[in-house]
Amino acid sequence: MSSLIVFLVAFPLVIGALLLGVHSGKLRNVIVVLAGLIVAGASIVTAATFGNGNALFFGLPNGLTLGQGLLVVEVLMAAFVLFVSIQNRRVLAPILVLGQLAISFYLELAGKMPEIDAGRLFWFDRLSMVMVLIIGIIGTLICIHSLGYMRDYHRSSPMIKGRRTAFFCLLFVFLGSMFGLVVSNYLPLMLVFWEITTLCSFLLIGYTRTEETIGYAFDALNMNMLGGLAFSGAILLLINGNQTLDLAKLTSGPASAALLPALALLCLAGLTKAAQMPFSRWLLGAMYAPSPTSALLHSSTMVKAGVFLLLRLSPAIAGSDLGTMVAFIGMLTFLFVSLVGLTEQNTKKVLAYSTIGSLGLIVGCAGLGSPELIWVGVMIIIFHALAKGLLFLVVGTIENRFYTKDMENFDTLLSRLPLVSALALVGIAGMFIAPFGVVVAKWTAIRAFLEIPGWQGAALLVIMAFGSSFTIFYWGKLLIKVLSMKSVTEYERSIQKRISSFEWIAEIALAAGVLAVTFFLAAISEQVVGPFALATFKGTSQSFLHVEPVMLATMIVAVLFLPVLALWASRHENYNMSDFYAAGRPVTNGNVVGMALGGTRAVTLRNYYLEGVVNGQLVFRAGTTICAALLIAALAAGMVGR
Amino acid sequence: MNPIVYAVLFVLLAPVFGGLLAGIDRIASARMQSRVGPPLLQPFYDLGKLLQKDARQVNPLVEPLLLGHVGFMAATGAMLVGGVDLIFVAFVFALAALFLVLAAGTVNSPYSFTGAERELVVLLAAEPFFILMLAAICKVTDASSYQGVLSSAVMVAPKLPGVLLAFTFVATIKLRKSPFDISTSHHAHQELVSGLTSDMSGRLLAYVEMAHWYESAILASFVILFFNWSVPLGLLAFAVIYAAEVLVDNSTSRAKWQLVLRSTWAVTLLLAGGNVLALFLLK
Amino acid sequence: MSFFSKSPWILHYDASSCNGCDIEVLACLTPLYDVERFGVVNTGNPKHADILLITGSVNERNIDIIENLYRQMPDPKVVVAVGACACSGGIFARAYNIQGGIDKVLPVDVYVPGCAARPESIIDGVIKGIGALEMKRKKSA
Repeated sequence: MSSLIVFLVAFPLVIGALLLGVHSGKLRNVIVVLAGLIVAGASIVTAATFGNGNALFFGLPNGLTLGQGLLVVEVLMAAFVLFVSIQNRRVLAPILVLGQLAISFYLELAGKMPEIDAGRLFWFDRLSMVMVLIIGIIGTLICIHSLGYMRDYHRSSPMIKGRRTAFFCLLFVFLGSMFGLVVSNYLPLMLVFWEITTLCSFLLIGYTRTEETIGYAFDALNMNMLGGLAFSGAILLLINGNQTLDLAKLTSGPASAALLPALALLCLAGLTKAAQMPFSRWLLGAMYAPSPTSALLHSSTMVKAGVFLLLRLSPAIAGSDLGTMVAFIGMLTFLFVSLVGLTEQNTKKVLAYSTIGSLGLIVGCAGLGSPELIWVGVMIIIFHALAKGLLFLVVGTIENRFYTKDMENFDTLLSRLPLVSALALVGIAGMFIAPFGVVVAKWTAIRAFLEIPGWQGAALLVIMAFGSSFTIFYWGKLLIKVLSMKSVTEYERSIQKRISSFEWIAEIALAAGVLAVTFFLAAISEQVVGPFALATFKGTSQSFLHVEPVMLATMIVAVLFLPVLALWASRHENYNMSDFYAAGRPVTNGNVVGMALGGTRAVTLRNYYLEGVVNGQLVFRAGTTICAALLIAALAAGMVGR
Repeated sequence: MNPIVYAVLFVLLAPVFGGLLAGIDRIASARMQSRVGPPLLQPFYDLGKLLQKDARQVNPLVEPLLLGHVGFMAATGAMLVGGVDLIFVAFVFALAALFLVLAAGTVNSPYSFTGAERELVVLLAAEPFFILMLAAICKVTDASSYQGVLSSAVMVAPKLPGVLLAFTFVATIKLRKSPFDISTSHHAHQELVSGLTSDMSGRLLAYVEMAHWYESAILASFVILFFNWSVPLGLLAFAVIYAAEVLVDNSTSRAKWQLVLRSTWAVTLLLAGGNVLALFLLK
Repeated sequence: MSFFSKSPWILHYDASSCNGCDIEVLACLTPLYDVERFGVVNTGNPKHADILLITGSVNERNIDIIENLYRQMPDPKVVVAVGACACSGGIFARAYNIQGGIDKVLPVDVYVPGCAARPESIIDGVIKGIGALEMKRKKSA
């Protein structure tokens, strides 16, 4: 196991370094595909080797030690941040990184670092297994997708200088450090991986190096470095209090009051990375990066690191005031961003709001902490990673065909890109169609909220009822756009043929994954997620998913209905059987209406964005303010040990 | 009796119930306008005619989506009385309603499309309430299924007066009553021709009617949940609520979607949310 | 059994009427005449309608609209021409832009005379239209 883990972390890093030197496109394709397959294979082997499901703890193979390695990496990263900050004249980032470095040096020079238990550097349990599979498989598919996407991206925007060697290098470094993050047990080790992901996301978001994207990249850097600083602070507090730096020991049960200040800081770190309010802005800025970046940041890595940490902390903070407040930050974020999502027209931003919302749900579950809720949190992670990854890739493909991310321009998509539409429908079904995936999780969450006494339970129910209804509205609008049809020209029909096979492979594989997870929902729940939840909370044995056969049947019908219908309809050549009603005016081509004084005009249909009822910017600002206040309260509660 | 029997009975009998209700509704509305009105069985005549008529398809998506609409609506009702988890039912209910929106939204016609968008607004307005309502009922009775609530020792309505009041409000739009520019209301003169059904003819329109009848029966079943000690009492309560809706329908025919959305959210939050809060604090 | 006689839904189109006949058509819906007794619904949408009820005569600019509306009605369907203008062009028959009665464009099944046509005769025309509807249905079946 230990050598497998080291391989999982090191191999992508090596490949990343190798890719820096590869300038030939064809060679790069070969390396990326092969390396991707190896990474995915290794992650599956790792999961398969993890036999009986008991948590494993281990160190580096062959008696290797970390030595001063962590400090060296930290110094290198700090130097890099300083360099780019000076280059771009930014002040905040250097302050944050120097603060963090100061803490590390203080601990090191003052000789305060405690003995490392070399046999407990890594922690592998069912949650790590789920995360390793998600990163290995979905991450790889995203890398493969990028091969096709980046080619078209640079074709369609010739103004942007190609830096594809760096791009693919970063993707692999990202995967490697994510692997390291989800198996770390020793907090300083986790912190290093944590910071590498921050740095990679900074570089990926700023890929195009326009003024706009550099601004967003620094937003992401600042907010995540704040989280990193909080992480360092937590380590400092733990060491000063003579507490353990061993994550598993730290979170083995409800934390004592002495531990809560450090846990509060760790929660802050988790919240920044999970892009919860008031830190949601960086993830929205990340939407300006190429789509595979968004897919990677949103579905399988980065933000998942934040919720991963919070799920890990869950048993320690559950029941404390700190945990409750963190949960409310998550749930309120879910409510507010879902409401903002109603007013958003940019498809990628809608997806981003939906991501932040889903993460909010997970944070809510982690903060409240109970076997059922942890179950919900992990289930959402799985479904969200697959479905959202798929959706981002599909939107990327569409964007490269029609040069738009605007939902309104997705009209008649089914006629123009039938197969892509069917894939999009699988993704949307995975995200929200009633009895499936995230909704199963929401349903279980409501059941769990009913058991929470006092005003908290009532508030959570109301938030959930409104929040999940909001999501119906934006997904419904997107569905309407994807499902509309018209007669297509020969040229329009040819567009789909120009999508690269890399993109097809990645998207079809992810869609298959979404369907597979639905079919094996009960098995995943009973074999993996349920036992994890019970082991985390030492609860009594119980079944989490009360799926009756009727429900399962409903789910499968609901999931397959739209994609199958879309594929069938797109093959239906003579669909234009009758024209629509246009006050008696002639209609041709399925969407062109004759005008009263001669001439024709194509119909343009625009979705509702609830103008005059919901002010998106105002809601976002209100949410940020409220959650910021809650965050301060949560930190205060943690500091006084409640 | 086996819950599956209830489910089958619902699928078979709900359209009869819904159709008769629509017939009574039309006569009652006519009488309020001092007219005689159509025969009681008029909705069934209409349905029969629609099924006999030619159906014009605008694109191949509409009919399957409408079948999905009827199918999921019937499934919602069947699951509800068949003892499936109530909160799960709330999600299937929303899905069923969504299919109608999609069927209309796929048509490129401005009338259908605008109708679909407004129907989506209705869904957005009403959905939070139904989740909250069913969750509250589960909380009061400690049950998770229809049968569980009916056999509970606690009577629901006295514990949830606010939620019941809010139900009366929300049912107005779910029964396709008042809001004038939400095009599915049964008014002769509307902003959008026939709104989301503008391009549905013959049996396609019949599906929409059938689904609406199922929906009425589902709403009646919800009311029975509030009066869980006695089904006849529940039906009586539904009759009273429905009569109130008809009156509202005939006296406020110019409410617009913005007003409906705002007021429904406010009612859900204040009446239903307040009631749920009280419930959690007192229990 | 056929339901057509019990549920005739009407699309009322004002071709180039002086609005005299239109007011009488709407009068049919009022409490005094209450055509809903016969299951009549004024749909305003060709796709829902069984009977196309036209007032006024055909002119140059509304020919294609009349044709489109008729074409968009699903079968079986009938046309009822209401009033002198719809029947023959009436007093406008020889105006420069008037083509004549509705039968210049569509196969009219029932002619309702009068200027303006009285509600009683309009209802009578609709009932006759129902008969034609039944006949068409049998022929196609």
